[in-house]
Amino acid sequence: MKKHIMLIGGFNKTLSLGHSLIKKGYQVTAVNSNYQDCQKLAEVSKLNVIFGDGTKPYILEEARIDTVDIAIALTQKDAINLVISELCKKKFKVEKVVSLIDDPKKIDFFYKMGVDSVVSAIQAITNIIEQQALLDAITTVIPVAKGQISISEVPIPQNARTVGKKLWEIDLPREVIIGTIIRNGVGLVPRGDTRIEAGDELILISSAEQERAVQQLTGDL
Amino acid sequence: MGIFNKDEAHTLIVGSGRLGASLANELSDQEKNVIVVDSDKSSFRKLSPSFGGLTVTGDATSINVLKEAQIEKAGVVIVVTNDDNVNIMISQMAKELFKCEKVISRLYDPDRRTVYEGFKIDLIYPAILSVNEINRLLQQKDSEEE
Repeated sequence: MKKHIMLIGGFNKTLSLGHSLIKKGYQVTAVNSNYQDCQKLAEVSKLNVIFGDGTKPYILEEARIDTVDIAIALTQKDAINLVISELCKKKFKVEKVVSLIDDPKKIDFFYKMGVDSVVSAIQAITNIIEQQALLDAITTVIPVAKGQISISEVPIPQNARTVGKKLWEIDLPREVIIGTIIRNGVGLVPRGDTRIEAGDELILISSAEQERAVQQLTGDL
Repeated sequence: MGIFNKDEAHTLIVGSGRLGASLANELSDQEKNVIVVDSDKSSFRKLSPSFGGLTVTGDATSINVLKEAQIEKAGVVIVVTNDDNVNIMISQMAKELFKCEKVISRLYDPDRRTVYEGFKIDLIYPAILSVNEINRLLQQKDSEEE
């Protein structure tokens, strides 16, 4: 059985998400309350489109919510997304419910209300902008545990003052540990007496103070 | 006319529509503390000139606006905006985030009542109330004819 994913509300997001999910072999149903949007969505091949208000249980029933494995609420308004999510979760017992959220302050509240995964576009975008703007020295940052912990990759430049030093000689903030060192493409587990070499890539796991740690590791002599 | 008394718990009314505003006027006349929130300042014109409570202009789906309206100290929260979804979200926020004891909300569409289950939120369904009232009037008429 193909997994059935339902996308409720949203036009551009539904369009691109729908395309990509269908390509990956999922069965996709879109529910939208705007008739023109529905007509455009219907042009996507294999996309099942239902015209109606997704906060109304009978519309969801019509869209065969009983066969849905994953429901995704993509409207612009938090209140609507919350009601859709709660209907899917409580009334229709959908296994996994994902909701978009506008106001990042309500993320915890949405989780409390039983939404399985809350996606904040604003938070994601501001995180990326912050990374790009502030952290030139870091190449990739992966947030885990809702962004409380981040895993980042820090290349060590030639002229860094830490080159040749042992790890225990470096005064890192308490909130940061070096998880792995990648040397010549091979990962090694660091110990206190491991020396840092120029060209190493350090994988940092940090709860805070990331910028200061990067400064200390990559700073000039 | 009641003047706002800081020491007493107040009633927080979200949405100053016909229902919200007349309720606010009524409670204020009973000398109760009332705070009314609405995103549209002009909707406070529905409050009577003798209204002695406070008004807060802002979007009550925002946590900051609810705090500004002192939701933490409210004895009762009544959520009566004209949007079911907004009512659902605000009353659940009042219950879950601010642990309000008593929350009353209006729901136009009884189909959505499942989302309120397990929250101990008191609900008003205008459609069902009207049906009952009309039924009662009809029965009255019938008995008069008999």
